[in-house]
Amino acid sequence: MVSKNAIIVFARCGCCMSHVVKRLLLGLGVNPAVHEVEEKDEVGVVRELEFIANDGRKVQFPAVFIGGNLFGGLDRIMATHISGELVHILKQAGALWL
Amino acid sequence: MDSSSSQYVSTRNIGVYDPTHQFTIWEDHFKSNGDLSLYEPNMKFNNQSEDASFGILGTSIKYDQQANKLTEKMQRRLAQNREAARKSRLKKKAHIQQLESCRLKLVQVEQELDNTRQQGLYIGGGLDSNNLGFAGSANSEITTFKMEYEHWVEEQNRQILELNSALSSHISDTQIEELVNGIMNHYFKLFCMKSDAAKIDVFYVITGMWKTTSEQFFLWIGGFRPSELLKVLVPLIEPLTEQQRFDAYNLEKSCRQAEDALSQGMEKLQGMLTDTVAAGELIEGTYTPHMDTAIERLEALASFVNQADHLRQETLQQMSRILTIRQTARWLLVLGEYFQRLRDLSKVWANRGREPA
Repeated sequence: MVSKNAIIVFARCGCCMSHVVKRLLLGLGVNPAVHEVEEKDEVGVVRELEFIANDGRKVQFPAVFIGGNLFGGLDRIMATHISGELVHILKQAGALWL
Repeated sequence: MDSSSSQYVSTRNIGVYDPTHQFTIWEDHFKSNGDLSLYEPNMKFNNQSEDASFGILGTSIKYDQQANKLTEKMQRRLAQNREAARKSRLKKKAHIQQLESCRLKLVQVEQELDNTRQQGLYIGGGLDSNNLGFAGSANSEITTFKMEYEHWVEEQNRQILELNSALSSHISDTQIEELVNGIMNHYFKLFCMKSDAAKIDVFYVITGMWKTTSEQFFLWIGGFRPSELLKVLVPLIEPLTEQQRFDAYNLEKSCRQAEDALSQGMEKLQGMLTDTVAAGELIEGTYTPHMDTAIERLEALASFVNQADHLRQETLQQMSRILTIRQTARWLLVLGEYFQRLRDLSKVWANRGREPA
């Protein structure tokens, strides 16, 4: 799933922060894949994602993967969006065409 | 202790009329009471022997006894002094604690009065303490936050004055950078304070009860709306290069996008919280059993405050990247003055009714 999508968001069911991530990305013209995680599956999914990320970072929901790599959470999305870097990163990963 | 007493006893023996008899009594006493409580009864015996021996004993022994009597008196006095000092320290500590709690209470009362005035409500007698929460949080940690915020504002005003005078004088860019970093860090400190306070009472923080009414009017998720400030204040820091104006415009646009995303997330959370409150059962005036869900919602609300502050922080930092150091200083000056004027507006409005016609 992670490698198949240019950008994918993993989030808890009904999480409002993932809604924020989604809306922000949509506002930029990106249509991210979203995978909602049930509470009972959370621990397993986190472990799997940390394995995929493979850089010692902890995975917290909502978690964004861009171009198959763990990008970060809402904090990083916000920071890169404000600094203007996000659009470039998205274009490079093929998540955004314009 | 026992050994020295017994030695004492044997010294005393010399002055007593019937040494053997006295000694036997003392000996029995020692045998029956082997502990230090012996000290008291010993004293009685000692005094008796002193009186008896006064005229008969040699000077050296009399001196010895008097010296011992002095030591005992001194020791008694020292012990009494220690006790008195200890009591006085405890009293002082209790008094200070009382003063501290009175001071906290005073700030609480002032704050409630403030809030009451702001909200135009009247809280008279007959209302129980629960209703005080309506006019403002009576929580002591929130009171502390309010106090710390007052200090924060004072420091902010001082920093703005300092920067103002620095810019009009001939100081180096490095010194300006120092002042600029100080002001930026001061803002970041406020965000930390708010984050901590939100854990205690998220509604208090997010409704901006700790701010003046005019600031509350413009409130967005517990603070200022970055895009609005950029729109209004950037023109005031001209002249800017074409690139800078372009970058600032893009920043304003990015802020608006981020704000919209956060606002939409907030709306969703509000809806969920409303549902939780409505679905909860009211049993005998207590709120059960969806408390856990409600708490979850409130924690999510606190994280919205954090995200909004994070956006404010990133915006401030991006501005410092777009502008030169002196321009950043002017920007912070303009920002600080704007907030000051907004706060003053509140006070002016509130005071106008009190001025004599």
